[in-house]
Amino acid sequence: MLIWFLPLFLVLLMLGLPVVFGLLAAPGLLLILDGSTRDLAVLYRNLYNGMDSFPLMALPFFMLAGEIMNRGGITTRLVEFSQAFMGHLRGGLAHVNILSSILFAGLSGSAVADTSALGSTLIPAMEKNGYSRKFAAAITAASSVIGPIIPPSGIMIIYAYVMGESVAALFLAGIVPGIMVGVGLMVMVRLMADRYDLPKAERIVTKNQTITPLEARVSFVLIRINVAGLLYAVFAGIRAALSLDINLNGWLIFLVFLPVAHGLMLWLRASVSDDFRLVCKKAVAPLQTPIIILGGILVGVFTPTEASAIAVAYAIVVSFFVLRSMSLKDLGPVLARSALASSAVLLLVGAAVAFKTVVSLSYAPQILTELILSLSENPLILLFLINILLFIVGMFLDAGPAIIILGPILGPIFTELGVHPVHFAIIMSVNLTVGLATPPMGLVLFVASSVSREKVETISRAILPFLAVEVVVIFLITYFPAISMTIPRLTGFVQ
Amino acid sequence: MALLLGVLAPLQLFNDVVLRIGRALAIAALALMVCLILGQVFFRYVMNDAPNWTEEGARFLMLWMTGLIAPMAYRQGGFVAIDMLERALGRIASALLTLTLMTLALLVLIYCVQLGWSNVDSLTGRGKSASLRIPLGLLGGEDIRFRNAWAYTSLFVGFVLLTLVNIELMIRQIVTLLGGEDRLKPLHDGDVARAD
Repeated sequence: MLIWFLPLFLVLLMLGLPVVFGLLAAPGLLLILDGSTRDLAVLYRNLYNGMDSFPLMALPFFMLAGEIMNRGGITTRLVEFSQAFMGHLRGGLAHVNILSSILFAGLSGSAVADTSALGSTLIPAMEKNGYSRKFAAAITAASSVIGPIIPPSGIMIIYAYVMGESVAALFLAGIVPGIMVGVGLMVMVRLMADRYDLPKAERIVTKNQTITPLEARVSFVLIRINVAGLLYAVFAGIRAALSLDINLNGWLIFLVFLPVAHGLMLWLRASVSDDFRLVCKKAVAPLQTPIIILGGILVGVFTPTEASAIAVAYAIVVSFFVLRSMSLKDLGPVLARSALASSAVLLLVGAAVAFKTVVSLSYAPQILTELILSLSENPLILLFLINILLFIVGMFLDAGPAIIILGPILGPIFTELGVHPVHFAIIMSVNLTVGLATPPMGLVLFVASSVSREKVETISRAILPFLAVEVVVIFLITYFPAISMTIPRLTGFVQ
Repeated sequence: MALLLGVLAPLQLFNDVVLRIGRALAIAALALMVCLILGQVFFRYVMNDAPNWTEEGARFLMLWMTGLIAPMAYRQGGFVAIDMLERALGRIASALLTLTLMTLALLVLIYCVQLGWSNVDSLTGRGKSASLRIPLGLLGGEDIRFRNAWAYTSLFVGFVLLTLVNIELMIRQIVTLLGGEDRLKPLHDGDVARAD
């Protein structure tokens, strides 16, 4: 009897029942029909226990940090920063759009936030610069999928929790694939630039940039600490690689590198214009967020949840005191929006944990494994088929719910076939995230449409070349595990 | 129709007020969660003494945050669903389908309310937390340890409120079906950010 709960669930889902109720109704109904009403209490307890989790707390916190950063006028700074580097290329603003998405991805874990924040700034600017509106909307939607691939990432926190993987390992595994999607899109823009004669743009939009003395000082200190830290990391790497026996206090070496970093900055300063320098300076404080999050997790000073709380504190300090772009009355709505959005997701995760227990009680995984293995025993072919399945699912369902439903069903099958769980997590995450920008139902297409006031169908056609690039990246990630696994392996988060 | 609108008005008012209070409490809970976890890091690294109750306290608050504000998210359409079929159908068929699905959701919610209550009233619910306590000791009294049921109640309350919201949405749907859409008061339309 229990075996029917998967088809039943799919029917309920396709009819349009909210996923969270479907996750509870399908197994619940069958338990009742099966006469195992006592197990309903187990289902409920799993729902509760599924939500009562410390690692999951990173979800509301990262959402909150992203919201605060977005309110704090940080988007404009990131766009200006990207433009200073890439605006002068052919197809300049399209490149700027992609680079801004990559940078924004380090602050937020959501493609929707990325599309609405960057779209409202960049789509009008691109139109003014001579791009068609559909192209501008399409590149915004296509590049926003980088948001949940580069850490922090909402769906990776969810997947890691539901499947018992390490959030840190998943975060680290997402960095290279995220950058690859970005670079792939840039290559496509470059190719299109020749064909459609895409325009160049100014590197500096606002001349005579200004910066408050406090922010200038904060950026001054932060940039030197970061460069010195980077030099120290390079030094430590060389020392380890050559097995040099240098026994010096780490702090001492770091202190030595500080003046070196300062010298380097002075040298760089002489070679750029004042406006360029200020645009870069104004991006330092926001871009410190991913460094704090990843640095903290990598060094092992904090857990991802603690890192997310620190990201919130940092975002508050930066927005309130350094940039002074937020006031106390803005905080209430920001907190409310994060609480609202995360409560829906938390409930969903709890329901998924309850659902998962019934998945394991039934013979569904075994039957599905047999079914899948009867198609082929070659993991490479199976991965290809799974990519297609995920891609189709991603067209109709948001990445979060999709990963919650499919993770427990597909994860164990592929782990058994020898695919590393972290690698599989990345395949799923990237694939379902790209699904967010895939017609007909991709969520970010709708967001891009409402931001740009261009029809979804028109954006859907314009986005196709970019989707092709993303599909190629998905296959590269699938068949070359080293792309995602190298960083987590090197840092010891995956054995 | 008049009867439906007569039932709807007080229910909508009740939900408006209660959910607004829930929202305020959820905001406070989220802010406090951040403070607790920051405190945990601070005590561990600066004071070299990590308190054992911050993590459990933050989880307690997260459960309450969810229970208190998830009904508002549901009311504002923040629960993910595939609405392809609904859009493809005509007005009447689509409204009937929505109503059927809401009835199913109502059944799930009623079960959850029952199960939630027996969970609150269970043996483990009467158990006490190992680390969370109201520190009356500081005032010269005796510390009161948190009961597990205090945390279990969060989800129970959440399901009760979700049920009320579901009933409200169902009545609205019936009114719409009967052609009285223009007589419905709009629901408060906060922007629901989504976590994809």
